[in-house]
Amino acid sequence: MPIGDMLLRSVDDTQINTVFPNTFEEYKKWDKEQDQLPPEEVYKALFQELAYGNKIQVGRALTRMNYSKSGWKSLIKNTSRAIKKAVKKDEFPDSYKDFLIAANEKWADPTFWYAMGQMVNNQTPIYYYNAIDMTYDQDQNVIRQKENRRVYVQTWIKTLKVSVYVTFFCLILGFPVAHLLANLPLRYSNLLMIFVLLPFWTSLLVRTTAWIVMLQQQGVINGILVWLGILSDDGRLSMVYNETGTLIAMTQILLPFMILPLYSVMRVIPKSHMRAAQNLGAKPATAFWKVYLPQTIPGMSAGGLLVFVLAIGYFITPELVGGKDGKLIGSWIAYHLKTTLNWGLCAALGAILLAVMLIFYWLYNKIVGIDNIKLG
Amino acid sequence: MSKLLKVFLIASFAVASFSAKAVTVASWGGAYTESQQKAYADTYTDPGSIQFENYNGGLGEVRAQVESGSVTWDLVDALPGDAITGCDEGLFEDITTEIADLSTPGPDGETMLEDMENNGLEYHSGWDCCVPQIFWTYVVFYDPDAFPGDKPSSMADFFDVEKFPGKRGIHTWATGIVEKAMVADGVKPSAVPTVLRDQTGALDRAFAKLDTIKDHIVFWSSGAKPLELVKSGEVVMSIAYNGRVGAANLAEGENFEYIWEGQVLDQEYLCLVAGAPNRDAAVDFMMHASTPEAQAEQAKYITYGPMRASGIPIIQANEPWGPGGVDIMPHMPNTPERLKVSIVSDPQWWSDNGAEINERYSAWMGN
Repeated sequence: MPIGDMLLRSVDDTQINTVFPNTFEEYKKWDKEQDQLPPEEVYKALFQELAYGNKIQVGRALTRMNYSKSGWKSLIKNTSRAIKKAVKKDEFPDSYKDFLIAANEKWADPTFWYAMGQMVNNQTPIYYYNAIDMTYDQDQNVIRQKENRRVYVQTWIKTLKVSVYVTFFCLILGFPVAHLLANLPLRYSNLLMIFVLLPFWTSLLVRTTAWIVMLQQQGVINGILVWLGILSDDGRLSMVYNETGTLIAMTQILLPFMILPLYSVMRVIPKSHMRAAQNLGAKPATAFWKVYLPQTIPGMSAGGLLVFVLAIGYFITPELVGGKDGKLIGSWIAYHLKTTLNWGLCAALGAILLAVMLIFYWLYNKIVGIDNIKLG
Repeated sequence: MSKLLKVFLIASFAVASFSAKAVTVASWGGAYTESQQKAYADTYTDPGSIQFENYNGGLGEVRAQVESGSVTWDLVDALPGDAITGCDEGLFEDITTEIADLSTPGPDGETMLEDMENNGLEYHSGWDCCVPQIFWTYVVFYDPDAFPGDKPSSMADFFDVEKFPGKRGIHTWATGIVEKAMVADGVKPSAVPTVLRDQTGALDRAFAKLDTIKDHIVFWSSGAKPLELVKSGEVVMSIAYNGRVGAANLAEGENFEYIWEGQVLDQEYLCLVAGAPNRDAAVDFMMHASTPEAQAEQAKYITYGPMRASGIPIIQANEPWGPGGVDIMPHMPNTPERLKVSIVSDPQWWSDNGAEINERYSAWMGN
């Protein structure tokens, strides 16, 4: 249900169409080739719909209109005030066009009228285009967004990159730990397990802050390196407030999600398999590669998928430790959900995120086979 | 059913029915909400009837509550942009007449709205649904020990990495910083909002100015961070919320200096949610929380300035106003002389252009 609602919202534009039905109807008749500005009927319809429209509905429409072009909000609000004043005095203009342009010169600016074209249909793909830095031009052709507004494609790439790296690092770091856990005698492995789980139970924010203390330029690691004479005081490494910081912190935070599935799979692999392989003449490396590793694939896949799916939607940790590189796609969804109230764009971003995950799932199924996932 | 469970159930019903009568105020939490509790709720006729709840800002939750018809918040502590949008969208209830009839006038008989205009503010539609709270500002601060010789004193200095080498702390969104860049570029602070609104290419100018320090910035995204950054020496100066700097100076014995020139004043409102379950009690509390006295009272507990101009003289006349006999005025952002070198952020302009500028700002950060 919520997913269905989200998908509907990502293409829905009915709300604005109920507020300005006549204006949009007249708007469709405007021949942009012939007239630079829309005909008088459009101005007249808009005048009436602003004069007699429900204030709250118009208010909601404003939020929507402002996505298509910045400035709609105050334009309509100022105009509404002028219109209501005129209506109150029973003064109806001879030319609605002149009246509106006199009320605010932006009504003579065709770019606002072009932007209105985005909204005249009940369903719209515009949010999806916006989510990949595209927009409409005046004739509803899809074009790229102005260069200095292109943020989403680079954010998508960054999000994917971070998720893939984090999954990879988790695998590299988690594998030996899980192996150790699975092969140590129980009393040692229990103790080690606590070391794995302890940070897992610690608050996310505490762990994130701890990493900042460790990694910052005046922090613990840099301090030790300078003290040891490995770094000069001016040559302190910047390991946090950039992508490195994001990768380090996210890897540590998501590591248990890799270790636990790996561990539970490794624990049930009989030790005798490795011994048998070596008995039959395989070198330890070959035995590991040919006999042990293939048996851990279900664990690796389960862990990998878990970590990847969690990483792709992460945004609090990257925002705190990532500095200027810390805005992943999740941050944008939160921003539009809360601040701009552009839920259409949120839904489109969310839908794309869902699609990306499904693609990875599908790829994974093709390559490894979904039946192969095991949590133990 | 076990006895314990029964007791628990009854208790939770009791709590639920009790809290149903209380006015629920969604606010930002931390020291800020604590100051509201002390200044507004504790001085109210029935302090027990006010309950604060934390939220993270934005209108997302309010819209969800109003759209689904299950409103649990009565009042929301909102930024001016959210106050405007919320009022336009009908998420907040229009109480223009109640504000006119019930709000406490200033000492010279000026209405509450006139009192706000005396503080450099202009009417926006948020004023129809909300009452004023505090001025908070984006201010630059530094540790004087970091500058043995000349000390920075202006926005131009903040943007001058030759004269004052070292990193700068700047937040990861565009509000405030765009205005500061304009001041550093030579625009008179009071003229900044008009220039941004009316001059084409003004934004390009701001971004060009930002380019000059881009390699010397540490970006922060949570309010406590700039203090850590400056304290640890990670940056030599930083933009911060002035209340955080004030708290560090007053409560933690720090000795930070402010650069008031080019500070960007932003507003904070208390808004009535449409369909609030305890509407009338909530309106009554709004009127109490927006008296000049209550606003001045809040400055005792946090160094944000009253949004009603008449709050300032109350503080001035009663110094030392702060707890433990400290003077508060040195930390107040909106004294008349500081207002002269400040920018009063234009929420209507931001609400028009905020999304686009923030996208541009992010693209700029990422490249």
